[in-house]
Amino acid sequence: MQDISLHLLDIIENSARAEAKKIKIRIILNTSDNLLRLIIEDDGCGMDAETLDRAQNPFYTSKENREKKVGLGIPLFKQNAEQTNGSFNITSEPGFGTVLTVDFALDHIDRMPLGNLKDTLLGSIVGHPEVDFYICLRNKDRGREQSFHFDTAAIKEELGDIPLTYPDVIEYIDQSLTEGIQNTNMEDV
Amino acid sequence: MKTLTDLKKIREKAQEEMKLRGNNVRIKVVVGMGTSGIAMGAREVMKAFLEEIANRNLTDVLVTQTGEKGLSSMEPIVDVIDEANQKVTYGNMTPDKVKKVVVEHIVNGRIVSDYVVATGN
Repeated sequence: MQDISLHLLDIIENSARAEAKKIKIRIILNTSDNLLRLIIEDDGCGMDAETLDRAQNPFYTSKENREKKVGLGIPLFKQNAEQTNGSFNITSEPGFGTVLTVDFALDHIDRMPLGNLKDTLLGSIVGHPEVDFYICLRNKDRGREQSFHFDTAAIKEELGDIPLTYPDVIEYIDQSLTEGIQNTNMEDV
Repeated sequence: MKTLTDLKKIREKAQEEMKLRGNNVRIKVVVGMGTSGIAMGAREVMKAFLEEIANRNLTDVLVTQTGEKGLSSMEPIVDVIDEANQKVTYGNMTPDKVKKVVVEHIVNGRIVSDYVVATGN
């Protein structure tokens, strides 16, 4: 994975496979604290302590009955954060969901770029119409703070039976996310 | 700034269209979005499908994402499923190949056999 938004996409897919109904994604950029923080919270099936421990091991996968026996998604994300003075934390409760908090040191020379956040979010929102996404982007720099909130539940309610893949809806979501990312200065982090 | 009022207009327009041509989904596209698919460019493939649908105003095509399905060596993988539930699986996809699949297969109904890795239902 070349950037953080690709890892984010991978984590969103985990949440969707855990049958999450709601996925909350918060991205906080705090220049004064030299911090880029991602919090991904779902209400999926969750994991017990043993599974959670194994999920961070590359030779574990929840995808059974198949040849593939490695699961590199979480271990690679963890490694990429920890190797650049960041941290990686998952808490999970069976039946309630999973919360993942990943911190990156903003100025670390080997920190991955945030990457194309818009395409990660657009694809996930449209590609998982059964999941409600709540997205919050926040940029804090000393006294100033800009934020963007996007709630797909409100959009779906407004649309009724019109699918999210309806051409004008794709454009609507695309433009809303683009504006939000620009307004919080997250295009080039 | 985009507002919910814009959505209301979209809904009214879409509902008018559906009155004319019905509410059916003709083609379903499923993009494999597992870890290896993502690493091989599945996000860009997904984006290319959404762009083509928006640009060509394809109102009867649905695109979704799913986890990987054990064809890791041919990622990114895409299934195109028709109304009769016939499935064509395309492999090693790129945004350029997506354009061709949309024009040839989804719009004109001709399978792009060069990119096919599996068929069935």
